[in-house]
Amino acid sequence: MDLTLTKPAPEDEGFLLVDTEQFQGPLDLLLHLIRTQDIEIFDIPVSKITAQFLQAIRGLDAADLDGAGEFLEMAATLIHIKAQMLLPRPLDEEDGDPRAELVRRLLEYEQIREVSQRLRAAEADRSRRHGKGYIPARPRRAVAELPLETTWDEVFAAALLVKMPIPRNREHRVTTRPVTMEEKAVLILDALKHSSRVEFSKLMDGFRGRSHGVMTFLAGLELTRRGILLLRQTRPFSELWIYRRDDGVPDEPAPATEEDDQGADV
Amino acid sequence: MNAHQIVEAVLFASDAPLTADELARADEGLDEDHVEDALQRLKAEYDDAERAFQLTELAGGYQILTRPEFAPYLERFDNVPRSTRLSGPALETLAIIAYRQPIGRLEMEYIRGVSASGVIRTLQDRRLIDIVGRSEGLGRPLLYGTTQHFLEHFGFKSMEDLPHPEELPIVLRERVPLGPESEGSEEAEEEQQTELLPAAQEYDGTANEEEGGQAEEGADTEDESV
Repeated sequence: MDLTLTKPAPEDEGFLLVDTEQFQGPLDLLLHLIRTQDIEIFDIPVSKITAQFLQAIRGLDAADLDGAGEFLEMAATLIHIKAQMLLPRPLDEEDGDPRAELVRRLLEYEQIREVSQRLRAAEADRSRRHGKGYIPARPRRAVAELPLETTWDEVFAAALLVKMPIPRNREHRVTTRPVTMEEKAVLILDALKHSSRVEFSKLMDGFRGRSHGVMTFLAGLELTRRGILLLRQTRPFSELWIYRRDDGVPDEPAPATEEDDQGADV
Repeated sequence: MNAHQIVEAVLFASDAPLTADELARADEGLDEDHVEDALQRLKAEYDDAERAFQLTELAGGYQILTRPEFAPYLERFDNVPRSTRLSGPALETLAIIAYRQPIGRLEMEYIRGVSASGVIRTLQDRRLIDIVGRSEGLGRPLLYGTTQHFLEHFGFKSMEDLPHPEELPIVLRERVPLGPESEGSEEAEEEQQTELLPAAQEYDGTANEEEGGQAEEGADTEDESV
């Protein structure tokens, strides 16, 4: 048990701060107070212990009703016992001692604590002996590597790789004629009039500026979404090819479909 | 095929303890005596040959387990993180249940002085305890007991392997019966009823009175009036 108590001088009852979170509960704390001060458990000085207990729980987090409630309940019990101790006792000392039930509980709890430590040791011993199946089976892997499917991230990364000259003039300029997606769509369709496929980078020939790259790419996605084009990329970061769809592209349309959905979101 | 070979084959293929009775089902020619002889022979063989495993008595049965000194080598292969160790509150609660079963939640909470519902759930999830019935008391609360997996988890042959009260350093046996339920001496049971049940009822009925004989009487009458 890692019980630390900002050690009070036993005679100084005024100063005693305990981190209640370090204790398993009020009985644990109470036992700690009794055992660290060598108090005879069958003759607990209730007044002194009650004062110490109340001091110890001063820092309780009032928001933690469950945790705090348990300590407060014990505090109430202690105060109740303290009050009873002031009353004249019946002749039968043994039964009449108001502390009897608390002492019984403390000793019982101490015994449980001892047993739980024995259990902990037994658990540690047992955990070093292993039966069949302790070592897990190897993770199952597909025998053949599946062909790479192009993902949106990869397509986007390839698009960003297209070299865009850094503009010398970095000041922001409002242009009267922004690049439109429509003109880029026309550009793509024109390029595909003469061949069944075209590289993305080729479409960028003669254009400068990021907006051209982005709009060409978006136009490609939009046309793909409408089923006019297919986008294809063999490896991550490799060239992006744009296919005319009516040609019957030698490729399964699955990756393109995925891009369609993503493209529509953009 | 010899009996000890058959028994060995079955034990080898099993990942849980098997009782002599269960092992005898492997062949019509086997009875429990044969199995016991075979087990003794296997045990001696493994020990004499200094095998890396032992025939281990566990939870009323037998299982082939590696010797503890090989644990470091095996643990290198354990790429699945396992939370085998129980927390302090879980162990304390389990100790209470082990010695006092069948036992209800309120009684556990009275003994530890803290709420037990979360810990009970954890112990149930880990199959260390289970619901074993309902109390006759008010609201017929659930009663809990330890499982066979509890014995396996702690490496116990039986409940007898739990620390006996007289082994424990704190001596209050006359007032706090603390012993495996399996022993079940009548005296202990009587003591439990006189000592523990009133305490639990008292906690049920009147949380503010917890001090011995007077309160117990008070609690009895209050319980009837509830």
